[in-house]
Amino acid sequence: MIAPPPPPALLMTPQERRRWLLSTWRYAVPMLVSLLLLLLMVMPVPLSVPAMPQLGLMAVLAWALLQPSLMPPWLAFCIGGFADLLFGLPLGVNATAFALITGLMRLMAPLFGRSGLMVDWLMLCLLLLLFAGLVGPLMALAGRPVPLLPLLLQWLTSILSWPLVARFCAAIQRRLAASAPSWRAG
Amino acid sequence: MDWTPAPRRPTAIRRQQNLALLSAVVSGGVVAGGLILLLLARVNPDTAAGLRRTTADLVAPTWAVLRAPVDGLAALAEGIGDYFGAIDRARHLETELDTANARLRAARAGMEELRRLKALMRVRSPQREVVATARIAAATTGTVVRTAMLAVGTSDGVGEAMPVIGAEGLIGRTTEVGRNAARVLLITDPLSRVPVIVERTGQVGLAAGRNQPTLQLIDLSGATVPLVTGDRVVTSGDGGVYPPGVPVATVVDARAAAPVLRPAARLLGAGFVTVETAWLPVPATEPQGPVFDAPVPVEARRRGAPTPRLRDADAPPISNGTGG
Repeated sequence: MIAPPPPPALLMTPQERRRWLLSTWRYAVPMLVSLLLLLLMVMPVPLSVPAMPQLGLMAVLAWALLQPSLMPPWLAFCIGGFADLLFGLPLGVNATAFALITGLMRLMAPLFGRSGLMVDWLMLCLLLLLFAGLVGPLMALAGRPVPLLPLLLQWLTSILSWPLVARFCAAIQRRLAASAPSWRAG
Repeated sequence: MDWTPAPRRPTAIRRQQNLALLSAVVSGGVVAGGLILLLLARVNPDTAAGLRRTTADLVAPTWAVLRAPVDGLAALAEGIGDYFGAIDRARHLETELDTANARLRAARAGMEELRRLKALMRVRSPQREVVATARIAAATTGTVVRTAMLAVGTSDGVGEAMPVIGAEGLIGRTTEVGRNAARVLLITDPLSRVPVIVERTGQVGLAAGRNQPTLQLIDLSGATVPLVTGDRVVTSGDGGVYPPGVPVATVVDARAAAPVLRPAARLLGAGFVTVETAWLPVPATEPQGPVFDAPVPVEARRRGAPTPRLRDADAPPISNGTGG
């Protein structure tokens, strides 16, 4: 719990209200981490193949798993829209795909964390593959059909880097949970 | 894996259920909105171009600053590496210089002849002009498109559809230009088509990207001379964006149905790239009013309606059955 629900506004003392206002940035942490990883994706690496992993999407999925209330599909839509603007794609390609995959992740969330890390990883591979398959029709809908086969390499690097991204997000969650304000004591 | 504890009070449970329902409805709405946005982009590809420009303006200078220390380290490593094998390289370069000098002497006579012939034929060739020089600030190496960003924009004189050329060859062309950033469509992007000419055979064609390290030579026309591996492919100057004679690629697989090319330049290498003016910019034509079949009433003409243009030879009438 990185951002505990506040007490009712009417019952807050001025001191509590101040503390609550100063802690609202915690609600934005999942979004900010996802945007940061998106910015990392346009790092000028001299690669001639599309091998940069989908860091932004994986961060969105990790937060949809860890904090579903702070990463709803409509927020994933906004983050995907930023990705479109960043990569120079028609506005809506990544946005729609991010929102759909996050919604699916939300439906599948009860399956995660039950049968071990490998099964979680396998399910995530399927989600990422679905995303890669979804981008093609969406680009075609926007009038710019693209070859999809080169993205296979990106899928491979993505599934290889999932443990890193998931651990990174989990570490942030732990750090924030350790410093989460508790309203009962105040 | 959700850490947030489930609420216990009935009001809180109901509130959470309502919020979940609202969130589901909003999420469905935004997905539908995204599909509508895509249709808009299909009808008008310039949708949100301004937003994209602004994003590039914000991101490209940031990365241009962030990559400086990395570039410095890379330059240092390169400088150390240069000391090893310097003697061998110097000897190799000396022999290369001798052969190059011999060729230059032979070419000098040809150049003089060409100058005289051009003067005789009154050939007018436009000049190449460098607008800006920059490093590649950011690049999309992980999406269905292959673009790069430069930290130069309209404030440096960079405009849309200008060729971007590196030391070793063609990099791409600018597509969207903001104040301080320009987006470059790399030649490996699936949308990129570069009019090229094969140096040895004189065949013309298009070098098409496909989001892979190599390009494809398509629409090859001219004498049916089989290509061989190692043939150099340079820009032909057709289309008016790229100046002629810029190295684009070399043929690596000539036997394929569409010959496979390897780009001459490392597209996202650490070197500087130059942005040049378009070779032959598209002349701005005056917008003309629609072609009228019926005469325009005098009252409408008094109020500023354009004068009617009659259908002529290059606009055949619809009744002809050709469909215009």
